[in-house]
Amino acid sequence: MSDTVLTPTAAEPQLKTRRWGEGLGLRWRQHAGILGALALFLGLYLFYQLNHPRGFTGQILIQNANEVFALALVSMAQTVPVLMAGLDLSVGAVMTLVGCVASHLVDGSPAEIALGIVVCIASGAACGFVNGCVVVYGRIQPIIATLATSAIYMGLALILRPTPGGKVQEDLSWAVTSDLREFAATFGLFDDGEAAWLQPFAWIPVPLVLLALIIILIWVPFTRTVTGRTVYAIGSSESAAYMSGLPINRAKLAAFTLAGLFAGLGGLFLALQTSSGNADIPQAGAYTLNSIAAVVIGGTSLLGGTGSAIGSMIGAMVLRTISFNFRIFDVAPLLQPLFEGIVLLAAVSLGGLKLLRLKNKLEVFR
Amino acid sequence: MARAARLSALAFSGLLLSSVASLAAPKSVSGPGPDPSCFKPWSAQTKYMQWDKKPGPYRIAVVNGFVGNTWRIQMIQTAKAYAEQPGMKDKIKELKVVSTGTDVAAQLGAIEDFINQGYDAIITIAVAPEGFDRVIRLADRNNVVIVPFDNVLDTDKVMQVNEDQLEIGRLSARHLLKELGQKRDGKILEVRGLPGNSVDRDRHLGFREVMEKEGKFQIVEVVGNWDDGTAQKATADALAVHGKFEAVFTQGGSTGSVRAMMDAKHPFVPMAGEGENGYRKLIAQHAGEGLKGFSYSQSPGLVAISMKAAISALEGNPMPQLISVPIPAVDYTTLKDNVNYWSNLSDNFFAANEFPACGVNVTAPEIMAKDAKNTQ
Repeated sequence: MSDTVLTPTAAEPQLKTRRWGEGLGLRWRQHAGILGALALFLGLYLFYQLNHPRGFTGQILIQNANEVFALALVSMAQTVPVLMAGLDLSVGAVMTLVGCVASHLVDGSPAEIALGIVVCIASGAACGFVNGCVVVYGRIQPIIATLATSAIYMGLALILRPTPGGKVQEDLSWAVTSDLREFAATFGLFDDGEAAWLQPFAWIPVPLVLLALIIILIWVPFTRTVTGRTVYAIGSSESAAYMSGLPINRAKLAAFTLAGLFAGLGGLFLALQTSSGNADIPQAGAYTLNSIAAVVIGGTSLLGGTGSAIGSMIGAMVLRTISFNFRIFDVAPLLQPLFEGIVLLAAVSLGGLKLLRLKNKLEVFR
Repeated sequence: MARAARLSALAFSGLLLSSVASLAAPKSVSGPGPDPSCFKPWSAQTKYMQWDKKPGPYRIAVVNGFVGNTWRIQMIQTAKAYAEQPGMKDKIKELKVVSTGTDVAAQLGAIEDFINQGYDAIITIAVAPEGFDRVIRLADRNNVVIVPFDNVLDTDKVMQVNEDQLEIGRLSARHLLKELGQKRDGKILEVRGLPGNSVDRDRHLGFREVMEKEGKFQIVEVVGNWDDGTAQKATADALAVHGKFEAVFTQGGSTGSVRAMMDAKHPFVPMAGEGENGYRKLIAQHAGEGLKGFSYSQSPGLVAISMKAAISALEGNPMPQLISVPIPAVDYTTLKDNVNYWSNLSDNFFAANEFPACGVNVTAPEIMAKDAKNTQ
């Protein structure tokens, strides 16, 4: 009798530690993609900073943060449809369109600027919502639907900005492309940025703060909702998700709308960064293609179901950091694309390493 | 935590130090500057700029955008070859070339990086004519000379280098009129460039301005995208529809235009076109049969003029804000093998690299020497 009581109590702590250990292993495996990308990014970026004559200074960080922001947002936008095993070819076009809208509206009095920003964000989300409607109600494959809508959005952008130009408010443009201290100084906040409590953070670039806010306030809450979980479920198995009674259509609409919102935020920043709008077709295409690369580097499976916008953000940073190094080291100009390609291929191949661990080779074809 | 605070304090003090650095900006001065035949001001209204004199040798960066056509590749090789020429070699400590693709954020980032690395001058072909305010501000703070060329910026705050595209159109028209003699009517073929581009627009306007004043020509327009294949097809179509032209003006893809005429057994007529080696080879071969050609060029060698201008500015000379580089042009009477065209080299490069007014001549063999081992 006493034996039977003793055995489970003695076994329990052991069992618990094993479960805990397993949980950690599982978590590690679930986030292996992101962690791999993060390690690659840190390696490349530290290498760059260590070799930069002005390495580890505020300016370098600001300059790099500015360069990465729009691509990071467009890559986060791309992530959401990819989680559902679809591709959104319109993210670059939405970014461009919203940038052109911003070059018309984000100027004038503070109220006008605020309204302009709201209109920009809303138009990005609206573009995404239209994509979602075409996919859900038109029952067209995302890749084709967004190919078509991207042409429409580029057309609208060209109507808004037949030639590059426009203007955004200068102070705002300067403030969001600098560090927190400059930001505060520009708008006369916190004793012009000299407040003592601000000093430990004053060097942080505004774009990085914005990225963190977007992730904390939009992405993380989204993944915790039923709609957000459904997006993942659709990517794993749409029929299973349907049979489980999950709101498939709502999730698809929400996913594309969120993608449009992210891409629009990227476009808004690009307009602020360049204080102008430019309906540049090759540039929009380059952003769309790079966003897919960033998504894959960030550990999101193109088959859907696993991954995260945070990973894609890191993937975008990896993409950018590769070319940062060309500015420091004497790499022959015509060989640079080759090197970039090799590093990219290596980065993407990291994701393929998990195939080596599969017990059943048939799972490759899942 | 304490370590993080210390690190951030370190980064912050670094920031403070760097922002204290001189807030110099180029002074607005009155001309003339040195070498006025090469650094020719765009117009009488062009203002002059002067930077603080810096001791050489200098570190120069070339920030290219799109890479992947002959022109851009030749431009990069010209920059490298020019930096090796005697007279330049001892003025340039380091030349770095990067291509950022058609992405304005990447180009701005690269320019800002080179400013932060302490480069003295940055030569660039702008991806967009707008959006460089921030880097211009930073360059002025750090006393760095930024020189956009070819695709220039819509600003008068930096020194820029280009050829006058309106004048290219006018020169082409004048050549055709001269070769047509007394004839002032008939059909003229105009093969245009990339639609929507300002270069295409300006060359077209300059050409029309002269042609329409002089005679009653019927000018037929087709779009050739500055590309041999497209221009050849567009010319062939125009020949099929219109039969005969008295003269041809092609903005680019000139070799293709001539080949289309030869394929259609169209008689050779006076022609004006770009500076491709293939086009110049054809002119040299067929001038006697009537291909009285004129060949101007928006030369990849502009990068060399831009480097020369940047160094002149760093040496403290007053420089025109917008420099109109003399247009390198030849016609069928002045073509010379191994001088301004190369009959033994491929069709696919731009032969005009000679700027006598600037003392700049980066010849094809020099560029080709860079080509084989490209890139070291």
